[in-house]
Amino acid sequence: MEQNPRNLLFPPQAQSVTSELSNNVVLTTVNDLYNWARLSSVWPLMYGTACCFIEFAALIGSRFDFDRFGLVPRATPRQADLIITAGTITMKFAPVLVKLYQQMPEPKYVIAMGACTITGGMFSTDSPTTVRGVDKLIPVDVYMPGCPPRPETILDAIIKLRKKMGGEDFRERYETIQQTHRYFSVEHKMKSLPDVLVKEYLRMESRQAPPAVLAEAIEMRTPVDLGRLKALETELANGDRPSEYSGV
Amino acid sequence: METDPQNTPASEEALAPIEPGPCALWLAGQNLPHESLGTASDGIEMISVRPEDLLAVAGALHADGWNYLRLQCAYDEGPGEHLVSVYQLTRCTDRAVRPPEVRLKVFLPREDPRLPSVYWIWKAADWQERESYDMYGIIYEGHPNLIRILNMEDWVGWPLRKDYVTPGFYEVQDAF
Repeated sequence: MEQNPRNLLFPPQAQSVTSELSNNVVLTTVNDLYNWARLSSVWPLMYGTACCFIEFAALIGSRFDFDRFGLVPRATPRQADLIITAGTITMKFAPVLVKLYQQMPEPKYVIAMGACTITGGMFSTDSPTTVRGVDKLIPVDVYMPGCPPRPETILDAIIKLRKKMGGEDFRERYETIQQTHRYFSVEHKMKSLPDVLVKEYLRMESRQAPPAVLAEAIEMRTPVDLGRLKALETELANGDRPSEYSGV
Repeated sequence: METDPQNTPASEEALAPIEPGPCALWLAGQNLPHESLGTASDGIEMISVRPEDLLAVAGALHADGWNYLRLQCAYDEGPGEHLVSVYQLTRCTDRAVRPPEVRLKVFLPREDPRLPSVYWIWKAADWQERESYDMYGIIYEGHPNLIRILNMEDWVGWPLRKDYVTPGFYEVQDAF
């Protein structure tokens, strides 16, 4: 007696209709699709200030290969979604970091990499210039401890960031991208000085010829007249030199 | 065994006169004022120069072929002691094998540490003298652009001096 196998209650083959269906039909929401596309192409800024970046550079290389996460390092903040603060941030560098962060388009993410950018690290006790944690300057999404963290740790941090991105709802994006005013909140009392990076470094007037006192001493191999040097110093101080030249 | 130099007592060793190295002998031949400090632990000859004689000595050494300033740095001997500006020179030639090196030291009074800049002899001194100025407050007279290089432009004090006290850091950072 012929029996149609489709009518069997428990057919010997695996049922194929539903698996074919799941291979060919994707059920999702626009939100998930949007998140999936976003977290699959997190482009980090090529950014490193200290030894942490050595580990980050190892991650870019073929052994750890972070391209498989869709991470393509960008040389400009305008194209970057993510900044991994790889390395110590000093107070002198802090305005640059804030500017880089502000230049990144929304939505943007920050991973604080290494002990220095989390708490100041080994510089947190007595350094006169280290910023104690980069979260004083920019909002941090993922803190990645280590000194420096291994490339695997960076991958772990990126996976955690991807989880965070996957859970976001783009209907709430206008609530999450509000300015938090975490910097420039206190009126500072530092005095501003004229800009030093004027791109005239080698062309500046004082570089064209040595002062006569020094030129004579070099040429004639005679001792420098310290009294004349004092006079030279006051002369220079009258120029466009900052007042700190005059000493302690 | 008595003649083995390894067994010489330490006190006798300390009393032994400092042998001037080849560079110090050359300087003596040129009648340039200097003082030999012997040899450092890494085998490099050390010479002390007074600040007013630095340019004469450095210019003569440069003319003699010490054409490369390997490093310029400074250190503090301790609270109340001298500040020292250090210059390490070498000869850059083609196919050089172990080129000779010499280390010049200028001991400066802590109250008024000033000496002429060697920028006009070796241009490499530019940023390194700025760093020594930034960290120790040593004034390099005649340097074309002696401003702070690592610290904030309006920083007060000389952070690497032994008697420097770090200001209350958190207030500074909150202000920033």
